[in-house]
Amino acid sequence: MKKSGAEILLEALSDSGVDTIFGYPGANTLPIHDGLRSGPIRHYLMRHEQAAAHAADGYARATGKVGVCLATSGPGATNLVTGIATAYMDSSPIIALTGQVTTTLLGSDAFQETDIIGITLPITKHSFLVRDVRDMKSTIQEAFKLTTCSRPGPVLVDLPRNVLASSCPAGEERTYQSTPKVSNGIGDKDDQLHKIARALNQAERPVIIIGGGVKLSNACREITDLIEKGRIPFVNTMMGVGSVHAANGYNLGFIGTHGFELSNRVVHQADFILAIGTRFSDRSTSNVDAFAPLATIAQIDIDPTSVGKNIKTDLPLIGDIRKTLKKLIPLVETPDRIEWLSRIKKEQETTEKRNCYKGCGEPGRFIGMVQEAMPEETTAVTDVGLNQIWAVRSWLPKTPRSLLTSGGMGTMGFSVPAAIGAKIGVPEREVVAFSGDGGFFMNIQELATISYYNIPVKIIVFNNSHLGMIRQIQDLFYDSRLSSCELGNHADIVAIAKGFGLQAERVAVEKPEEGIDKMAASKGPFLLEVMVDPENYVYPIIPPGRSNMEMIFGRSD
Amino acid sequence: MAEEEHIISMLVNNKPGVLSRVSGVFGRLGYNIKSLCVAETTNPEISRITLTSIANSHFTEKVAKQLNKLVDVIDVTELKPATSVEREMTLIGIRIDKEKRAEIMRAIDMFGCNVRYMSDNYCILECVGETEKTETIINYLKPLGIEEIARTGIIALPQKN
Repeated sequence: MKKSGAEILLEALSDSGVDTIFGYPGANTLPIHDGLRSGPIRHYLMRHEQAAAHAADGYARATGKVGVCLATSGPGATNLVTGIATAYMDSSPIIALTGQVTTTLLGSDAFQETDIIGITLPITKHSFLVRDVRDMKSTIQEAFKLTTCSRPGPVLVDLPRNVLASSCPAGEERTYQSTPKVSNGIGDKDDQLHKIARALNQAERPVIIIGGGVKLSNACREITDLIEKGRIPFVNTMMGVGSVHAANGYNLGFIGTHGFELSNRVVHQADFILAIGTRFSDRSTSNVDAFAPLATIAQIDIDPTSVGKNIKTDLPLIGDIRKTLKKLIPLVETPDRIEWLSRIKKEQETTEKRNCYKGCGEPGRFIGMVQEAMPEETTAVTDVGLNQIWAVRSWLPKTPRSLLTSGGMGTMGFSVPAAIGAKIGVPEREVVAFSGDGGFFMNIQELATISYYNIPVKIIVFNNSHLGMIRQIQDLFYDSRLSSCELGNHADIVAIAKGFGLQAERVAVEKPEEGIDKMAASKGPFLLEVMVDPENYVYPIIPPGRSNMEMIFGRSD
Repeated sequence: MAEEEHIISMLVNNKPGVLSRVSGVFGRLGYNIKSLCVAETTNPEISRITLTSIANSHFTEKVAKQLNKLVDVIDVTELKPATSVEREMTLIGIRIDKEKRAEIMRAIDMFGCNVRYMSDNYCILECVGETEKTETIINYLKPLGIEEIARTGIIALPQKN
């Protein structure tokens, strides 16, 4: 019994647990689309390949499973690039399947040929070009292994058309050849673990920094246990938000350039920091030289390149977060920490007075109202810009995979396609996408996908007729010389949404009740346009190059 | 920060595209590769890459960690000159003017180079040694009329017991 390369591919995907592909066809992927007609895998035809990559990413973030996107060679493949880079920066496990020209034409500048492997080298964990149909099955299996193992990330598989079309007699499939790595020189973990436990137990002012790695390692229960047993206050990086229930009493909020005053102040005072699953990106630390000057820093991460990458770490430990925390928890004592916790409490009282609606103004209040109106288990997906900071500050995630955001790459246009992926991945959960008017227009074509498949996502577009964050930065740090940040209000977003077949309403952010109620009650896809004052910024904010303690609270500062 | 030469030796899968993955790491981190030598090992599926780069002390840690993350990289080590054997081979093409002929011949003799090609007024010399020796020879011959050179770059193996 002979099978074609495309059939073997689809079978291997199915065997790896794939039930959904987000894609867009082209001449070189037609053998796959032919096979998709009869197979168990659902294919969602997106309206742009970038959106297919974001949808696969959203699917992966919402489910914890591997997301798969499919594009043809040439422009189809290059359109995936932003989505692949977004997944790479946030360690999201996706597999990008790309069509390729026939192997004999490779390198000849054939129609729709591009070296997508070359283009994506710096933004994939690994990539494969399948040159022989006998390698198809083992390559797909290897791709799945790689995308999820250790620190997850995108893997690209380039599929020449003749390989997809040619057939492979049963029994002739080849296994994947790989040589095991020589030891990577990681030292004695147990010894280091005891040192970290000792330092934590002896610390007077400890703080835990939770990064995105905690969720990726499925260590949310363990981190909560550690925090509660050790009575340790914690802060999140943007990617770490949601690892612990937002209402946990030790939660100080997220840190960094757009983070909270309280969390930044507390980290500055800490004498010991346990950083888990974070690379100390510049968004978290701001000026790294002035970051946590009093603290001994311990760092746990599975990726050796993340340890000591941006900050010198005193006690590094390379290993799986969940397994490491399971061993660490029994070693941690339960001190009363009265002095430290009451000092933080006092800070909290002062800073809360200064930062009404978490420093977000009306949009902060609005997001709280949306969360109140939606079911408990709702997933929020953000875009990038002010809307992202408003949402990450104001949405209070109660479960780990209920706030999805493009943290590392900061990709505008992420929210709508990622929300599609999240909704398809977990259909029983409501999904709300928060976008600004800028990012919304970047993938507006996906309203057609939403409408065609009747995907019941809720889309909130904050319309301040500007690129709000750009405006804020120009206003504060460029002496109010606004440039290229005004989008205007010439497009009727509600009419556009209706034109795509969605229900839509427009409200002012100060009086949103009616719109929120309609959205919450709607069964199908719904767009809510929320009019916001262009000067409704986020505070505090940290000027470029400054430290997390040099926060600005308004224009007069 | 003081910069010095580092020798990185690695074992990699002998497959298309592997070298561009390896060299990409150096480029992205902003390090220039000074010399590079790649060839099969006793196992034809595995190649050894030996390369040198002039960089500060963070170099090895940064580069080695990133190289180790590449799927096709099997092993990465830094070799220290004191505890390894290093060699490089250089081919030197030299124009032989009549009046310099005697001096060139003396140099060939003095440095122990092999003559691998000789015509009436051109010869190609082969010299093998550590970088220091190679550079001494090149500097000596330069004013005598070196036309072209090709260097393999350093290859090295660690000393073992």
